[in-house]
Amino acid sequence: MRRRLGPGFWIAACWILLVLAGALLADLLPIARYDETLAGPPRSGPSADHPFGTDGLGRDVFSRVVHGSRVSLGVGIGAVLLGLAIGGPLGILAGYRRRATDAIIMAFNDVALAFPSLVFALAVVAFAGASLRNVLIVLGVLGVPAWTRLIRGATLSFADREFVLAARVLGVRDSRILWREIMPNVAVPAASYAFIGMAVVVVAEGSLAFLGLSVQAPTPTWGGLINEGRTLMDDAPHVVLAPSLVMFLTVLSFNLVGDRLRALTDVRHSGLEPVRQAPPAAPAAPVHAVGDSLLQVEDLRTHFVTERGLVKAVDGVSFTLERGRTLAIVGESGSGKSMLIRSILGLLPGSGVDRSGNVYLDGDDLTRRTPEEMRHILGPRLGTVFQDPMTALNPVRTIGAQLAEPLRVHLGMNRKQAREEAARLLAQVGIPDPGRMLGRYPHQLSGGMRQRVTIAMALSCGPDVLFADEPTTALDVTIQDQVLRLLHRLREERHMAVVLVSHDLAVVREWADEVIVMYAGKVVERGPTAEIFGRTRMPYTEALLQAAPRLTDPAHHRLRVIPGRPPDLVDLPSGCAFQPRCAHARDRCVTEAPELLEDGHLYACWYPTGSPISEGAESRGR
Amino acid sequence: MAGSGNAHLRPRDQVLLQVEDLVVEFPAGRGRTVRAVSGVSFDLARGETLGIVGESGCGKSSTARALVQLPPPRGGSVRLDDVELTTLRGEALRRTRRRLQMIFQDPISSLNPRRRVRDIVSEGTRVWGAGGDRVDEVLEAVGLDPATAAVRRPHEFSGGQCQRISIARALVLEPEVVICDEPVSALDVSVQAQILGLLEDLKERYRLTLVFIAHDLAVVKNVSDRILVMYLGKMCELAASTELIERPAHPYTRALLASIPGSGLDLPPADRLIKGEPPSPVDPPSGCRFRTRCPRAASRCAEEEPEIRPLTGGHWVACHFPETA
Repeated sequence: MRRRLGPGFWIAACWILLVLAGALLADLLPIARYDETLAGPPRSGPSADHPFGTDGLGRDVFSRVVHGSRVSLGVGIGAVLLGLAIGGPLGILAGYRRRATDAIIMAFNDVALAFPSLVFALAVVAFAGASLRNVLIVLGVLGVPAWTRLIRGATLSFADREFVLAARVLGVRDSRILWREIMPNVAVPAASYAFIGMAVVVVAEGSLAFLGLSVQAPTPTWGGLINEGRTLMDDAPHVVLAPSLVMFLTVLSFNLVGDRLRALTDVRHSGLEPVRQAPPAAPAAPVHAVGDSLLQVEDLRTHFVTERGLVKAVDGVSFTLERGRTLAIVGESGSGKSMLIRSILGLLPGSGVDRSGNVYLDGDDLTRRTPEEMRHILGPRLGTVFQDPMTALNPVRTIGAQLAEPLRVHLGMNRKQAREEAARLLAQVGIPDPGRMLGRYPHQLSGGMRQRVTIAMALSCGPDVLFADEPTTALDVTIQDQVLRLLHRLREERHMAVVLVSHDLAVVREWADEVIVMYAGKVVERGPTAEIFGRTRMPYTEALLQAAPRLTDPAHHRLRVIPGRPPDLVDLPSGCAFQPRCAHARDRCVTEAPELLEDGHLYACWYPTGSPISEGAESRGR
Repeated sequence: MAGSGNAHLRPRDQVLLQVEDLVVEFPAGRGRTVRAVSGVSFDLARGETLGIVGESGCGKSSTARALVQLPPPRGGSVRLDDVELTTLRGEALRRTRRRLQMIFQDPISSLNPRRRVRDIVSEGTRVWGAGGDRVDEVLEAVGLDPATAAVRRPHEFSGGQCQRISIARALVLEPEVVICDEPVSALDVSVQAQILGLLEDLKERYRLTLVFIAHDLAVVKNVSDRILVMYLGKMCELAASTELIERPAHPYTRALLASIPGSGLDLPPADRLIKGEPPSPVDPPSGCRFRTRCPRAASRCAEEEPEIRPLTGGHWVACHFPETA
């Protein structure tokens, strides 16, 4: 927690505490009285006795600034608490009750927000009298609409979560749900906004005081001090500068603290994000022969330097792929399957990543290409389709505009040609009435149609290899079937190669020619689909196959359970990464990591299944 | 297909939970209405697991929430033993609702990130002031260490473990019916097998009656005694698990099964059994709601909604032209 807040937060917090302590203890501090005239020579600059110098009447400016902070902080904190005390409950009520309650509260709120607030404040203070209480109340009440809106928004976003639903099913009363489930979650954004609100109020109070509409002399306020010092700017600028600087630092600190607190509400870090630029790997001389395959990947490694340690997301992957073939990469989450294709495509986060190995497209090494050169390869030669078609499409541009863009950029078509080609592509991916579809926006389409559009975009420049990362995971099964059929048909028609990333072994078995099974960043089994599924050698692949329910199994059939869970990538087990979960593991598996062995296909296991040595031998039995 | 009717319900004294003509609707803006569930009926005998399967938008999750009256359905009845839930309000509803519990799909959003795991699990016992001694037992039953749970918060657990926490929370009040809404859809295959096995164990140990909702037919078959297939807010077919998979009679069930890669079933390719995309539940088709995608649809399907009717013992179908063996 401390590390994530950063040093800026702590410096700012210390400053606020310092000012606060000064305000509280002003009378006890060994400093001159704020109203004592001729405490020093008038208009003298900073000195040991008067660190901020003296003003026109010889009063100690430091003492006046310290005493002035009472008004500024008092109003700042008081007004924010007042706003929260009124706006908070209203916001929670509106967000949790919704319907009529929400409509009424928010209607009043919108009217209140439309009020010109500073004019209102000036008017009220001018009429009711400029006292600390009046200023505090006016600024507090003016903050209520913003508080209501903020708290309502935060409440709404949590009131829909399943844990609130679960609490209601348990029979928890609304008051307790608000108190135990919603409030702790709303508290962080509220605290963040409170600090930012204090900054706003301190500035507002300063402005009022400058205009003489805050607490009246002789009580010093920061805004009042600046106003007084205005006339002395020429020969005693410190009288203006000292309170200005203190006010500036205080407002800055409130904003900083609020800002850092807000960062806390963001997605929690896993500790696996890259933290720094890794040293570039020395380009090692390739020791492998470059064949004439369409795509050849040699010993590809992608490592991240993270807060928790080195993550070997992809660790020594090699394969070749020919035109007209589909290669499937399977594995569970965290196995590195998606990172592998990002690594091949060079689509990696900018810092903290260390990629080595080679990727050859028709014998041309892509790892030696600059990002600018890669831009001309992605699209025309390598197409990509991702899992979530909604995030892959720009929500505010029409389908037609998005489809035409790569055609115009990469293929140099004019507007009319690009539009015709876009319509042709949409027809090719099975979208009815393509002409009309061009004018639509992504949100007007179903999930299946959106995925067809992203496929059409990936195909627009006629790529040689199509990379599809979980293309059907977000889709219904009947639509999944349609999309997989479409990919297969397009592969045939265009004589492309397809790299299909999937967690679903059944999909892979049905649609792939070759399979790579990944576990903890490494290839653990690789070969033709029929071989992998017909003569499974790696115990992990076998366990995965038996863990998935099948329609032909009887009801209430006990599935094979793989004990434990996928390994922590920064703390891999010694030897074979699967060894702690493997029923066949023996001593050698702990001490020595298996290389890929060849026997019909490749597998990384010392005691493969289906061989006499593992079936006859005694396993460690976990 | 995709029809209504109550002929398939069993006598009331034989069942624990009975749902009749359930209707769930909510506003879609501009004065339109989403017809999420339109006349669905089913029942569960004590100790039975009913699987509800269908694609997105079929109304299965809306059905689950209507069972616990969150929100109460627009129409129909939900009867637990002798208690009609839909007419209960306030305190009486709060007392009865706890006999039903729910498990949700998203293991992360199911748990309050700011509370400790043990507090999450024991919330029910605190509210009802009883069963505090049950918390450790339930935690152990789902395979979690009570000592760890006392100090940790949900983000320190993996997705599978979070789902175990949700299950423990649901079981702590000794519910009679547990409604599982896609409980394993967000999990990896190896973890999914663990959770499915755990649900079977717990069902036995605590004599639970389960409503198991999922889009994956293979998963549903694995845990269910009977399966109800839904499409666009209507019932299609209801049968014992094996019967439904081996002799699907409804054209939609057949299409769903044929779409599953490597199903190993003797069915024509899926693209011959279903076409196009599901229509909007805001403006569902007349008659049978599946007819717009059905290769067998005839004019009768547009005019007349099929009632659910028996095919063989315990096998029910709502279709004018079902596949008969």
